[in-house]
Amino acid sequence: MSDADSLGRSVRLSFRHRNRLYRVGLSASAVVLVVLLGFPLYWMAANAVRTRLGVQDGGLLPAPDAVTLEQFAVITDPTVGQYLINSTIVTVGVVLTVLAISLVSGYGLARFEFPHKIAVARFLLLGYMFSPIVLSIPLYLIWDRLGLLNSYLGLILALSAISMPFSVWLMWKYIQTIPESAEASAWVAGASRWRAFVDIVIPQTKPAMIANAIFAFAIAWGDFTFAYVLMPNNDATTFPAGLFRLLGSQWDASWAEFMAMSLMLTLPPLVFAFFLQSYLLQGFKIRAL
Amino acid sequence: MATDTAGDPPPHDSVSSPRWHRMLPESVWGWLSITPVLLLYTIVALCPITFAVVASFHDVHLLNPEWTFVGLSNYAEVFQIDRFWGSMWRGVLFMIGSTLVQFVVGVWMALVIDSLSRTSRLVSTLVFTSYLVPTIVVTVVFEFMLDPYDGVVHAAGSSLGLWNNFLLGNTDLAMAAVVVISSWKFAAFVSLFTLAQLRSIPDRFYEAAQVCGATRWEQFRDITFPRIRGALAVVVFLRAIFMFNKYDVIWQLTEGGPGSATTTMPILAFKETFQMNAYGRGNAIAVIMFLVLFAGGVLYLRAMNPSQEVHT
Repeated sequence: MSDADSLGRSVRLSFRHRNRLYRVGLSASAVVLVVLLGFPLYWMAANAVRTRLGVQDGGLLPAPDAVTLEQFAVITDPTVGQYLINSTIVTVGVVLTVLAISLVSGYGLARFEFPHKIAVARFLLLGYMFSPIVLSIPLYLIWDRLGLLNSYLGLILALSAISMPFSVWLMWKYIQTIPESAEASAWVAGASRWRAFVDIVIPQTKPAMIANAIFAFAIAWGDFTFAYVLMPNNDATTFPAGLFRLLGSQWDASWAEFMAMSLMLTLPPLVFAFFLQSYLLQGFKIRAL
Repeated sequence: MATDTAGDPPPHDSVSSPRWHRMLPESVWGWLSITPVLLLYTIVALCPITFAVVASFHDVHLLNPEWTFVGLSNYAEVFQIDRFWGSMWRGVLFMIGSTLVQFVVGVWMALVIDSLSRTSRLVSTLVFTSYLVPTIVVTVVFEFMLDPYDGVVHAAGSSLGLWNNFLLGNTDLAMAAVVVISSWKFAAFVSLFTLAQLRSIPDRFYEAAQVCGATRWEQFRDITFPRIRGALAVVVFLRAIFMFNKYDVIWQLTEGGPGSATTTMPILAFKETFQMNAYGRGNAIAVIMFLVLFAGGVLYLRAMNPSQEVHT
């Protein structure tokens, strides 16, 4: 019973005072979090639209005469433009590969009974243990011999593989929640298994597909390790590895230009975070299993 | 009339064994459907790991196609170099430090978002953004903020007397800085994981507790905590494994320096392989790291038994 004499009651405050204390604590926490999380993002955006001199002056708000959009012209630089193209191709490739494979495999796990099914599904979870740095060291020579070094295909394969454990499990669990009766009536009407899968099951998996697409996007868009090791050629590499090389090179760019490039890389994640957060959360719920 | 329909299978039969079923047994279809994933795992994980084990028994120079078999001497060498044990120690320090910070901040963020009503969309958008934003953006922005000439955080820190020169070039403080910066990026993972659990607790539990006069602390202790305890254990475990293998954020910030102040195991493996050109030795380190991971993964599957059907 002494255990029950916990915080709220041992400190003898009336309900109104305790409630007020809680509200103040909650609001203060929210403010601290917004500052901690938001300030680096704000600072990036604020300095992406400043002139070089404006960056040196600092100041929390950019002075009106120091505001400019000219830093974004950095995108017309052939090197930077190539990074963006490479990143886009690789990201689209990974998202499509992950969607296709997770739909087929998730459907198979949900609808077919076969020996060792659970064991195989749990084996897939070992994919969480694939560490990009551990894999990329041996992959470097393997890809070199197969001619996949510096190729989009090589990077797409590597990034799709590390997205698999999450996406296949999500799709498996999601398709289990879709009743089989609609499919069965399509079979009765003469539809093939494949037709029923394409016309009836796939449209119903939309939320799971969105969650999978965002996670695959996050992995492919943000990947540094695989791109850095497996795309050693500067023309072939994606934005994260390219930006890192620019930072260490003698390239004459100011912080303002780096902030402009960072801002462009951040915009897609920001849009997804704002509009699609409920899908992401749903995905995390299933991931937590 | 009856003879007309005799050629067609009765409708009931076509449900239990449709056309596809007669061509191949169900188990073959099942295995076929997961073949693409297994193929991908074989190409990107099983082959490289086998290859790494083989390479770790050889002396390999990256530019020289000749492999010399040297048995276990790469491993003997790895365990003898003091870089290895230093990196192991720093790697464990980085793992524990960053997991701890991410756990505390991440759970705190999740509880705040779950309790807020009006402003929660703003906070949760920020949390999701920090989860989705590329690591390179985080490191570039922090390097800018720590820049000795133009950096706003550098100006604040040095005027408070916390550090004088470039923070990431400070032997004593670089590790702490890397822990804090990587936690900025990865605390969101803990938050989202926890938040997903918090949202699945029905409101009526709290309403009933309030009717009975339970304080907020008692509600947390008796309703919330027991329901998120399992998820918290999983997320600590996942974060510890991921942070032990973290390469990108450390390499981008410090490349393992100054000196070897932030050289963890993944950094050492990269340096040995691509800077010292000791491909065999680099693979030996990769194999050791993989064994650590694999042991962790097996323990995870044993402890969590994640194979139950989904509850809707």
